[in-house]
Amino acid sequence: MPLCTLRFAVATLFTTLMAGAALAADRSGAAADAAADRLAHEVFGQLIGINTTDSAGNVTTAAEAMAQRFLAAGFPAADVVVAGPEERKKNLVVRLRGTGKHRPVLLIGHLDVVEARREDWSTDPFQLVEKDGYFYGRGVLDMKSGDAIMVAALLRLKQEGYRGSRDIILALTADEEGGCCNGVEWLVRNHRPLIDAEFALNHDGVVGYSITSDHGVPQQFALSATEKMYGDYQLTVTNRGGHSSLPRPDNAIYELAAALLNINRYTFPFELNDITRGYFERMATVGRGQTAADMRAITRTPPDGEAMARLARDPELNSMMRTTCVATRLEGGHANNALAQRAQAVVNCRILPGHSKEEVRQELMRVLNDPAITVRYVADDGAISDTAPEQRALPPSPLLPQVVEPLERTTAAIWPGLPVVPFMNASATDGIYTRAAGIPTYGVAGIAVDRDDVRAHGRDERVRVASFYTGNAFFYRYLRALTAQ
Amino acid sequence: MTAGSCVRAAAAALLFTAVSAAARAPAADGQGASNALAREILSQLIAINTTDSPRGNVTTAAEAMAQRLRTAGFPADDVHILGPSDRKKNLVVRLRGAGQHKPVLLIGHLDVVEARREDWSTDPFQLVEKDGDFYGRGTLDMKGPDAIMLASLIRLKQEGFRPARDIILALTADEEGGGANGVQWLLEHHRELVDAQFVLSGDDYSVLTENGQPLFFKLVASEKVYADFQLRVTNKGGHSSEPVPDNAIYTLTRGLDRLAAWEFPFELNAVTREYYRRLAEIESPQRAADMRAILRDPPDGQALARLSEDAQDRSITRTTCVATRLEAGHANNALPQRAEAVVNCRILPGHSPEEVRQRLVQVLADPAITVRYLASDGTLLAEAPANRGFAPPPLAPEVLAPLDQLVAETWPRLKVIPAMAAGASDATYTSAAGLPTYTFSPLTVDPNDDRAHGRDERIGVASFYQATEFFYRYLRRLTAS
Repeated sequence: MPLCTLRFAVATLFTTLMAGAALAADRSGAAADAAADRLAHEVFGQLIGINTTDSAGNVTTAAEAMAQRFLAAGFPAADVVVAGPEERKKNLVVRLRGTGKHRPVLLIGHLDVVEARREDWSTDPFQLVEKDGYFYGRGVLDMKSGDAIMVAALLRLKQEGYRGSRDIILALTADEEGGCCNGVEWLVRNHRPLIDAEFALNHDGVVGYSITSDHGVPQQFALSATEKMYGDYQLTVTNRGGHSSLPRPDNAIYELAAALLNINRYTFPFELNDITRGYFERMATVGRGQTAADMRAITRTPPDGEAMARLARDPELNSMMRTTCVATRLEGGHANNALAQRAQAVVNCRILPGHSKEEVRQELMRVLNDPAITVRYVADDGAISDTAPEQRALPPSPLLPQVVEPLERTTAAIWPGLPVVPFMNASATDGIYTRAAGIPTYGVAGIAVDRDDVRAHGRDERVRVASFYTGNAFFYRYLRALTAQ
Repeated sequence: MTAGSCVRAAAAALLFTAVSAAARAPAADGQGASNALAREILSQLIAINTTDSPRGNVTTAAEAMAQRLRTAGFPADDVHILGPSDRKKNLVVRLRGAGQHKPVLLIGHLDVVEARREDWSTDPFQLVEKDGDFYGRGTLDMKGPDAIMLASLIRLKQEGFRPARDIILALTADEEGGGANGVQWLLEHHRELVDAQFVLSGDDYSVLTENGQPLFFKLVASEKVYADFQLRVTNKGGHSSEPVPDNAIYTLTRGLDRLAAWEFPFELNAVTREYYRRLAEIESPQRAADMRAILRDPPDGQALARLSEDAQDRSITRTTCVATRLEAGHANNALPQRAEAVVNCRILPGHSPEEVRQRLVQVLADPAITVRYLASDGTLLAEAPANRGFAPPPLAPEVLAPLDQLVAETWPRLKVIPAMAAGASDATYTSAAGLPTYTFSPLTVDPNDDRAHGRDERIGVASFYQATEFFYRYLRRLTAS
């Protein structure tokens, strides 16, 4: 804790020095920052304390609690909207009005969290607990920390009487982690004017954080500008079955096993887009040794095959250069003493932008090369269909200078030397809905998480205390920079 | 049951009368009365629900049969109802003989597998005669054979027949599952009541037909040992968006792929040798030649490969193991933390489950795959039982000779073919107790229409009566001297 506080103090000092001119209007940098941290912590604790799971939780309660804060802070009632088609899952949309020089920026964050069972956790997952330099609780990473930081930033800007060059809209939403369609998707479809913007910032860019750190030391800031598309497929082999005392060569389980091994041996083709190319180029300039050389080598035309193979050993880098498919579930047979009449597997794919789920289904069938195995598409709601949607995964959002330049300035002030790298998310976020609506969307979150300690969706989810506060300071400053001109 | 087989059965009955006229002839009306009695017993047994579920009660059936035996003149001292569970008591009855040899023990289980009225065309717990068949749960497995054995014993008693050896009949519980209240319990706790020189079990039909034509008369004289094993792979899991090479599902499937390609070694025993020796006399030329070729020393590899294409022959010539169940993963979007398979093995007599477990470990060839023994009650054990299945002794002539004779008389073109069952019946327990066990019931069934454990279970009416008469005559000859 003392170490972290020190680091934070240093960071704050830096910020004050670097951004001195911009902050001249503030009453007093340090005192205001301390007050902002207290506020963010308070909001954070309140959000964690409200169960917003799909099962027993209530997102509306959280949305209304936040609405209350905005109203109390002086936001006009007309600019604080709680809306949604379901009683338990309403969204909050707040607008901090600016001069209107540019079209608005939309901030999105989901309020819902994945399930957490008290007996699995060391602490109560629905209580914010500070222990040994970490905050613990369900959602401290994914993503109530981000929600609290965005709420606190807007409240602070309001209190400061700040008027940016564009409206800042904040949408805190439901159903990102599951459930269906009451969140961003619903807002885009039913209340487009309320959330329409020139671009959107998703604090859920990379499971609630942008900065990868090693032992608390930041290594890179990921600006997420695209994401892979999620697709589940069901493989089925059927057989006439029979008595297990008389095994035959035709066997549903063995045929499925052989099919899965084919999938395991197969790698989808290497492919870069503007964002992943930018990622490898940028990482090559900040890295050293073989890895940096390999990154450079795969961005050339034609890319270097051996470099590609070496980099692909890292699961994260591998996921950046190709569509991946992996078997995640198996089920087969109905009795120990009967030959299986059916064996099934679920194969989970993460599809590169520009490709469709149906294209991947066809590719899986080609790889399996066995007409006895059916490959069907499993929709989010579990419905199974013979073919998959033809719609292609959205292309990356272009790296807009009005987003990137203020980001580079702000990160340079807080984390000098920290590279900002364009990034493709391997997992899906609500950004798909805003991107599909034609709103360029970027994952930006100034929270640092150690690469070997990502507990989103897991037990004892945690975030470093210092990382939360630095992320809080970052986001406030980034919002100011973003709306300064 | 077709009209043709009715004619055949009638012809067989005629043949009986002719052939046995010289012997101490049982009265023709004895046969009629015996058929009526067998049917009455069958009807009574079917109507008593003896499933393992709470509605079932084996004791009720055992007591009803005990009542019949006492009425038929068996001394109360020779009729025992006993067992550790109130709902699952066994009946043991003894027809006393001259004591020239050690007794013969007949065994049959009274319990049946579950049957739901809504799945059936008729009430499974009512004996229904329809179009030449008896329908009802247990008609085949095995209240039909129970009724046949019991009716034969009562007939012998009523005729005042004094066998050369005691004939003991045990009608028991828990063969189909449910625990160890049946044969196993009797052997452990009342060995003296059931001790015998050999055992006859009625728990398999013997006259196998294809397209209505009888093929051979099957005498089961050895059993494979049943064993389940669980294969398990664990992994730390993770997000499915970034797959890693170490994956529980792929580790398991690689193992299963190796298992699919593996064959246990070829091995014959006294029973399976006799099986092929006799079967070769009635098989098609190529198969007959192949059978003779695998009986040679060393066996012919190509002949074995050809025969092994038939699942039945493959299972007779080796231990088999096959994956029957799969389960892995907990969410579509998470890398699996656990992947499991069940492998079901049928082990040749003379080998132990632990021996097979160790072989599986070797074949799977991956220390990440743990192989544990899955006991019938679902418990998992790091090691499997080390006891070896009872390797069959040579077939006893005193059992086989009268059977050969009677089969030849009844179905002139049929051969008795000794066989090894794929396991696991109560014969496992009697064999393990050192009692050579032979399983047959002279019912005629097309294996392609074997409805044991299934819906609308049935046996042919004519076949049932023919089998009743056959079994009675067999008991007489078996114990004539």
